[in-house]
Amino acid sequence: MLRYGMGELASSVPKCRSPRKRAWIAACLALVVLPSTASQAAEPPKFESHVLPVFETHCLACHGPESPQAQLDLRTKKGVLQGGASGPAIVPGASARSLLLAKVASGAMPPSGGKLTAGQIDLIRSWIDGEAENARAEPNRLVTELDVLPVFQMRCVTCHGKRRQEAGLDLRTRESRLKGGASGPGVIPGQPDESLVLQRVLSGEMPPPDLLMENNIRPPASDEVELLRQWIAMGARPAPEDTGSSNTLVSDADRSFWSFQKPKQHAVPEVTEGQRIRNPIDSFLLATMERKSLAYAPEAAPETLVRRVYLDLIGLPPTPGEIEAFIEDRQPGAFGRLVDKLLDSEHYGERWAQVWLDLAGYADSEGIIDEDRIRPNAWRYRDYVIRALNDDTPYTRFLTEQIAGDELEEYEGLTEVTQQTVDRLAATGFLRMASDPTYSFANASLGEKLTVVSDEIEVISSAVLGLTMGCAKCHDHKYDPISQRDYYRLSAILQAAYDPYEWIDPTERLLDISLKEEREVASKHNRPIKSKIESVEAQLKEKTDSFRLKAVKARIGDLPDKLQEELLALYQTPAEERDSNEKYLARKFREVFKISEGDLASLYPDYKENAEDLRKSIADLRKTLLPEPKIRALYDMGGEPSAVFLLRRGDPRLVGQRVFPGSPEVFDGVIEPMQVVSPRPGQTSGNRLALARWLSQPDHPLTSRVMVNRLWAEHFGRGLVSTPANFGKLGDQPSHPELLDWLATEFVRSGWSLKRMHRLMVTSQAYRQSSSVGQAALEQDPDNELVSRMPMRRMTAEMLYDSILRATGRLDTKRFGPPAEIEVLDSGEAVAKGSPDGWRRAIYTQRRRSAPVTLMDAYDLPQLSPNCTERGQSIVATQALQLMNGASTRNHAQYLAGRLLDENPSDRNERIQQLYLRIYSRRPTAEEASIALHELEKIEDHWVSQLEEQRDPAPRGPMARWRALGSLAHAMLNSNEFVYTD
Amino acid sequence: MARTFVRGAGGPWSGRLTRRGFFSRISDGVHGAALASLLSHDLFGARKSPHIPAATDLHTRAPHFEPRAKSVIHLFMNGGPSQIDLLDPKPELKKYEGKQAPRDILSKIEFADEVGGLLPSPFEFKRHGECGMEVSELLPHFASVVDDVTLIRSMWGESFNHEPSLFLMHSGRTMPGRPSLGSWVVYGLGSENRNLPGYVVLDDPKRLPVNGIQNWQSGWLPPVFQGTRVRSDGPPVLNLHPGEELASPLVDAERDLLRRLNRTHLEQRPWQQELQARIASYELAARMQLAAPEALDISQETDETKEMYGLNREETASYGTRCLMARRLVERGVRFVQIFIEYQIWDNHSNLEENLRYSCNKTDQPIAALITDLKRRGLLDDTLVIWGGEFGRMPLSQVGREGSAGRDHGPDGFSMWMAGGGVKRGHVHGATDEIGHKAVEGRVSVQDFHATLLHLMGLDFQKLTFARHGLEERLTDQYPARVVTDILA
Repeated sequence: MLRYGMGELASSVPKCRSPRKRAWIAACLALVVLPSTASQAAEPPKFESHVLPVFETHCLACHGPESPQAQLDLRTKKGVLQGGASGPAIVPGASARSLLLAKVASGAMPPSGGKLTAGQIDLIRSWIDGEAENARAEPNRLVTELDVLPVFQMRCVTCHGKRRQEAGLDLRTRESRLKGGASGPGVIPGQPDESLVLQRVLSGEMPPPDLLMENNIRPPASDEVELLRQWIAMGARPAPEDTGSSNTLVSDADRSFWSFQKPKQHAVPEVTEGQRIRNPIDSFLLATMERKSLAYAPEAAPETLVRRVYLDLIGLPPTPGEIEAFIEDRQPGAFGRLVDKLLDSEHYGERWAQVWLDLAGYADSEGIIDEDRIRPNAWRYRDYVIRALNDDTPYTRFLTEQIAGDELEEYEGLTEVTQQTVDRLAATGFLRMASDPTYSFANASLGEKLTVVSDEIEVISSAVLGLTMGCAKCHDHKYDPISQRDYYRLSAILQAAYDPYEWIDPTERLLDISLKEEREVASKHNRPIKSKIESVEAQLKEKTDSFRLKAVKARIGDLPDKLQEELLALYQTPAEERDSNEKYLARKFREVFKISEGDLASLYPDYKENAEDLRKSIADLRKTLLPEPKIRALYDMGGEPSAVFLLRRGDPRLVGQRVFPGSPEVFDGVIEPMQVVSPRPGQTSGNRLALARWLSQPDHPLTSRVMVNRLWAEHFGRGLVSTPANFGKLGDQPSHPELLDWLATEFVRSGWSLKRMHRLMVTSQAYRQSSSVGQAALEQDPDNELVSRMPMRRMTAEMLYDSILRATGRLDTKRFGPPAEIEVLDSGEAVAKGSPDGWRRAIYTQRRRSAPVTLMDAYDLPQLSPNCTERGQSIVATQALQLMNGASTRNHAQYLAGRLLDENPSDRNERIQQLYLRIYSRRPTAEEASIALHELEKIEDHWVSQLEEQRDPAPRGPMARWRALGSLAHAMLNSNEFVYTD
Repeated sequence: MARTFVRGAGGPWSGRLTRRGFFSRISDGVHGAALASLLSHDLFGARKSPHIPAATDLHTRAPHFEPRAKSVIHLFMNGGPSQIDLLDPKPELKKYEGKQAPRDILSKIEFADEVGGLLPSPFEFKRHGECGMEVSELLPHFASVVDDVTLIRSMWGESFNHEPSLFLMHSGRTMPGRPSLGSWVVYGLGSENRNLPGYVVLDDPKRLPVNGIQNWQSGWLPPVFQGTRVRSDGPPVLNLHPGEELASPLVDAERDLLRRLNRTHLEQRPWQQELQARIASYELAARMQLAAPEALDISQETDETKEMYGLNREETASYGTRCLMARRLVERGVRFVQIFIEYQIWDNHSNLEENLRYSCNKTDQPIAALITDLKRRGLLDDTLVIWGGEFGRMPLSQVGREGSAGRDHGPDGFSMWMAGGGVKRGHVHGATDEIGHKAVEGRVSVQDFHATLLHLMGLDFQKLTFARHGLEERLTDQYPARVVTDILA
């Protein structure tokens, strides 16, 4: 009943050129915009008599005419409308979009003293809503280029901008708009009705309706069109002179905060208790402890130490052989040798890469939208991180490659690709890990693009600088001396690669650079499949074309024969071969020729079925293709990026002053500010390289401190600064400022070697303490802030997952490459797919945002938004359920039981010994062993009855023995001793 | 400034003995809280810290003021049900049938190339109940309970896409990663049942909603406040029981074995409270294994009740089962129950008539039954039932797809309703414009809606905060939210 035939549509939805239609639309707009007055019997409040008295008592002390805070003067209505640093304080007629109301209603303003009452807030709300009439009557402020820039940037520059200039028209700058294109000047100052730009927008011709979807554009709303009209009418004024860009926003007091000052090299303190000092770390710690008459806890037992250091450095428990080897090594320096061995192990990078990948926000899928599309190439970045850590790449090089690998490496037009090229480009994946939904046409709005950029700024600032900068996206940081201008300077650094107005969708933002071997493997595999796909696609096209023709014929059946013939001929002529007459005809009959897939499917059921089959077989074939070996990189797009403006309140429609790439101002004068020098002018801006070099300065106040603090936090359970991602004013002060600085300077002196820092930390006496707590320590150091013992620690999700596999002998140690896939079982449990070799480590298991491995998820696998700077730790019943009853743990336990029975068919005692060694990394005490044997017998009896009940045909005795040993292994994997380390 | 992160108290391997850190990591039920309080007396004496730790367990907590409702059943209608065809009659649209829509509509539409003319509803509306609320012919059962309902016709959202709109409706912002509404409520009030989760999600066995499990995440609130997905067929909670069926003596023996291992370990480390907390979490899991199946066992219901919910009819059986389970859960003190419906069946871009009938047939009778059943058991007075999707739909048609016309997403004005605990009965709040596109009278933002919901639960949306990175986070973030006092009874 409500189906529109094409004819009907064509006649009832004309492009709105007729005055009658325009009038109707205006009427309709009015009814949409105007608030109904029927419900408002009372007179709307007035500014002078109603609102101003409220402002006088609550606001004018700061936002008065004298030195108004945030340049906001609320003394007059004009001042309110003009607004301040964050834009207009109110939007007349739209209280819901008015900043002033937001501030008072949320209680954010006034910042101190009495808040506004509900009555006062309602009064302001009704006043704003009642102001719509007045606002329409008289434009209340000067409209400049900055106000209309968003209209052009968001709708026009895709076709009339940097990459394309349709009809010779460039709408990026005021000058180019005035100049216009093939049809004449775009804008004539003072004459809105004569200006082509406004005419085309008003007629609905621009932006072109048939290109909206393709370019992800929506037509401007009526208030934006009105703004455009006002701007032209007021003379198309340029942006106001920028007076504020050179003034400093940072005071010396701001700069004097400890973390913005260079680290100092402190002398190692003298301590009395000399014999317990293994390196300077101990001197610093003991010096503080002595003041409280505390001493280190006793040294941990060798089997405790060996488990601790294995999990800590390689994320896996030691094997029985490795435990025995260490315990039997009685030579001096045995522990140091073990540490060296572990740091050299290939598993070291696999364990520590996870720490960094958390900071980068690594995931194998795009997230945000339901499709959660897989990133087939993300793993190259993961592999880069593992390799770089295993190679002990100096930290500054590690950072530089990740921030600007593309600028370091001249990769354009390479004839031969080396591993170094691939590595450096893959490294920039660091800034490609934020969720990016913009591959979907519905989710590629400007706001979504800007969010990708701001997420990456958050990654850089929280991971590397240990600062939270997110707040400065919308306003100057409230606590730290980071201005909004600083934020947009960082944004300007990224703009040459991530230009929101010249966007590339994430599935296309790839570099087609790979090693020859990899390319050959992929193309050999894909070639036959691709040719099959092509032939099916051709089949489908043929089918579609013939049915389209049929549909067109049916549609024009009632027209005169001659016209029919002409139209059919026209329809079959490719668009670019049509002459001007034909083009005219084609435009006229556009709606007739437009036959969607949906139209075809409803008209011809047999077509529908057939086409669906073909499409399915194409999709099935595609699934068997190997992904092209491309690199998910961030790379400079070359040329001049779009200009960057400060966005007031972070809103792309509220454009503020122009900003240029630069480092945060608070560091100026402490270290060298960032200097941009392009390594390959025209091809790459050098912006990110400059940022990386700025961060790499040896006396940078944060780079070294933030990283050594992270390493410390991983080894000792809490950071010297216990807020590793916040070294600002809201972060905690360092517990041992001198030790932190000593470590930071030592880190730089060692050539930024991470492995050297690990070694220093784990070979200290502090690290070798037991985790037992004496009464004195409990009273004097309840939080273990002084490191008077080692904390007891629960395994991370990945350690737990990997350790279960390692202990039960099911770990597949295959390294690198595409991750093990995830499958979601019918129960809803997500598990990794295994192979005959077992299961791969967690780091080589797909990180799909929408389907985290259930067991790891229960154990606080982070939700990345955009990254994770600190893992959470919880103890909840669902963890017990997953570990007790999940699909895999019992299987693995049972597998281990089988192996132990095979290896020690007649030695019950040895099976218990092995179980303890593998799961607890120690031998049982005699008492434990005898209890275990006793318990095993009991459980075996229960299994016999269970098997009888199940009528299991297998021989009862051996089966029950195997199952009972499995029960014991399963219980041990669930026990506290396995999940915690001393 | 005190730092009170709860998750992440001190790095991945943290083993701190701080009282705060300790509390933050024990998150289970009354049992966990009781244990924590016991330990705090034994080991820490009286509470020393002036910084009261944020709530991290399901222990019942006092609201800020007298609550009007104790529990919530949120009937989430993923896809965006069409207000114009269900709850917000727009006879004026007939005048404009087929006309092009105004610019402000076209500037915010998902499928810009499938725009048709304005489209009046093909369905009849009639007045119902004593209140005379106008309801579409598609909802005959709902029409019979309108006298218990407050209908809001003036909701508005921020995005015309599903994912951001679902995030907005669940967490107050259009982005992922923030705690869900249910998580906030349970964070504020705890739960009244020590053996069941505080926030239960009954998803459709056919398919998860858009955004999947992210809809009920706890974000940076402790994970104990995360929604627990409970299935209406098969085992109710993931891995509630082992994969193979074991005789209970064997299960008991295995459990004893684990207890014994843990006891031996703990005896040598009496100072490590976390170990005790983890032992307690295993005990709670064991209790949950008994409590959850009982709570969800609808075979205990009478035939009359089952028929009322439509369990005897194929169309209504699935949704009816979940509605009935929801009633049983709130009866047992579960704080927040959310029911989802097969993926996004309200997303009617085409075949409006047929698709709307399908969705209404599935849900109308069970929903009316839920209200009636709650009422006759005296539960409606302190249970708040909420119905609504992530947005509504446009007054214009969407064309060009297979089948007849549909409607595109419409976030600027849409309808939701509430019934029970503390809201007016038989009341309509707000209105959209003449064509049903934009809320113009008594506009209610999603944050207003959240503030109102918290208010009904006895929570002040400005005071229910969680300290994170030095900010006092709240459900409504920095938005100018307000309680919609007009709908309060």
